[in-house]
Amino acid sequence: MKLAELKENSQAVISGLNGDTRFIGRITSIGLTPGCHISVIKNDKNRPVLLYSRDTMIAVNRSECEGIEVTEVKA
Amino acid sequence: MSTATIALLGQPNSGKSTLFNALTGLRQHVGNWPGKTVEKKEGSFTHAGKTYSVADLPGSYSMSANSDEEVITRDFIASGKADVVCILADSSQLERSLFMLADYAGLEAPCFLVLNMEDVAKEQGKTIDAAAIEKKLGIPVMLFSATDIKAYDKFYQTLERALKTKTHINVSALEEEYIKLDNYSDIKAQLSDDTISGYTPMWLTVKVLENDKVVSAKLKDTLSDDKVKKIENLAKSGSDAVATGECKFAWIDEILQGAVSGRKTITKLGRLDRIYTHRFWGKPAVVMTVVLGLLASFIPALPIMALASVVTVLQNAVGSGLSSAGCPAVIISLICDVVLQSMGYVIKMLGFVFGVTLVFGLLEEVGVMARISYVFDNTMGKLGLQGKSVMPFLVSFGCTIGGASGARVIDNWGQKVLTIALAWAVPCGAAWAIIPMLSTVFFGAAAPLVIVALLLTMILHMWITAKIFGRGLVKTEDRCGMIMELPPYHKPKWGALFRYVLGRTKDTFFRVVKVVLLVCGIFWVLSYGGSNESSILYKIGTAIEPVTKFFGMPWQLFIAFVASSVGKEGAVGVISALYSGGSYSQGFMEAMSGAARSENLNELLLANVTRPEALAFIFALTFNLPCVVALAATYQEIHSVKWTAKIALYYTATALALSCIVYHIGLLIW
Repeated sequence: MKLAELKENSQAVISGLNGDTRFIGRITSIGLTPGCHISVIKNDKNRPVLLYSRDTMIAVNRSECEGIEVTEVKA
Repeated sequence: MSTATIALLGQPNSGKSTLFNALTGLRQHVGNWPGKTVEKKEGSFTHAGKTYSVADLPGSYSMSANSDEEVITRDFIASGKADVVCILADSSQLERSLFMLADYAGLEAPCFLVLNMEDVAKEQGKTIDAAAIEKKLGIPVMLFSATDIKAYDKFYQTLERALKTKTHINVSALEEEYIKLDNYSDIKAQLSDDTISGYTPMWLTVKVLENDKVVSAKLKDTLSDDKVKKIENLAKSGSDAVATGECKFAWIDEILQGAVSGRKTITKLGRLDRIYTHRFWGKPAVVMTVVLGLLASFIPALPIMALASVVTVLQNAVGSGLSSAGCPAVIISLICDVVLQSMGYVIKMLGFVFGVTLVFGLLEEVGVMARISYVFDNTMGKLGLQGKSVMPFLVSFGCTIGGASGARVIDNWGQKVLTIALAWAVPCGAAWAIIPMLSTVFFGAAAPLVIVALLLTMILHMWITAKIFGRGLVKTEDRCGMIMELPPYHKPKWGALFRYVLGRTKDTFFRVVKVVLLVCGIFWVLSYGGSNESSILYKIGTAIEPVTKFFGMPWQLFIAFVASSVGKEGAVGVISALYSGGSYSQGFMEAMSGAARSENLNELLLANVTRPEALAFIFALTFNLPCVVALAATYQEIHSVKWTAKIALYYTATALALSCIVYHIGLLIW
């Protein structure tokens, strides 16, 4: 599933990244790589998705979320 | 005296600016990188009899070629201009923030690592073993807190150690990860140590796999065609940037293994963040924060602005002193109306610049700015801007000068120029002082409608301006949504912040004075004249009246419109002087330096100006260029004469176009 489809307070693991060189560069340099654990803190309409990963709170714009594939992990 | 050059490298929120400001204080210089639109920050300091120059390297989260900033940073490091590179990481988020170090590994410039924000990590219950990390990396590593004054001795010691040892990162463990990648070894075999100076074959190979266009172009210049072909083919079938990213993080994990312990941080939002990120209350909370911050900024700004009124007193005193000494009127006018007047403007402006720089700097340092970006990302994204751009817009309701100075927080040049260009459309405090007065005189109870129409026009204006300028300023590939860290809140370092603000204010003063003097001088030449008929402005104004009439402005209003480009405060005074029939040029000068309007202004206006003309004038004044000081402040921020002139001409033209449209609509109504 896509990152933006995750509900608030859910946990997931990134399973894949799709996009151009620039997108991949930006997303990996902030620490979001395949296999990386994330928890979704906020997911409101018309706002970037707020997530927590590698000890960092990260905001990801909804359109960039389209390029991030995740697998939900049940707590 | 011996000297050394150090370069600061770090991701956003790694405390790089705090360190830079604390080290260099007032001894900084902001310019542009040669031929680029990227801001270049340099400074210097002395310690123990040695002079150090410091370069604050621009850039974002990595050493890729995603932006001009990153390419400049890479080239600077590879050029060997820095004796040592100081890499900063955030101790509270080591795993993620060491990515810059991992991406740096393989560059030939010596470096050392500063694990900043030790205090935040400690608060989170983390303990970090810097010695263990140093042993694995092979470069000096220190724990640090840029906000702690006492920590700087340790910093200087580590810096000295790094300069003496000139060590490089031990990359063997990292390369072990890279070797597992498809085609890594085959590509590397095509390269040698001196293929491109400053970069190791390992680093170049990884960038080739990451599809780095700048590196590919460089290789094309140095290698034979068949080698380039070979590399290209290998890169196509090899691993990609996702895989190299995984390698870097695997290496970081290994480095941190056993060196970091402590509890994991809680993944809940703090109370303040629950408000800022709230679906409904987020935006009002952000706007309130900015407004309160601005009000607070008036406290330090007011004493400076009070100085400006001293200049006004001085103007009168100098004027009468010189005239009793028998000085020619031209000289007196030149001194009082140009030199002192300009100084008065500039000092008043410095109050704003000081206040806004302080408040914005504080919001940035504390971490609130990132929340503002988050909340307004979507709205501002529609204009091609970052969420932060909302701040200059809000400030511009008070003063466009503040808005232009506040645009400094926007780290992309094109977006900064576009933000300022749009902020000009926001009616400033001086306009708000005139609009309700004129509207009430001419339209009575319908005055609020005029204000609503102005606000709607403002939104439309900003939208159209964004379309017109946006394409040239913000490239489509730069129009990407945010991928940004929301840092934990930090305590500000007041000393460094104040020194930074003072430095910026001083810098602004010298640059702006020149522009303001020039523009005020031109206006003076145009409007100076013994009697009404001899000034150039009068002659032009009356000569082109048939044209300006079409825009809805008789010559008196047109000259007031021209005067409003210098300062909107003076515009009404100019009208009053022109219609009351006194000496026009004297009235003009006096009005611009803040003389009182004539008491029967309302009757004068109603007797001489029709309603459509009044409406046309209100629109022309509101959307004209804000004032000469805002023009200078814009130039100071964007460092481009071409773009400053472009924006100024655009505003003059659109203001006239708007007044024309409004006038003809008005003619249909009345």
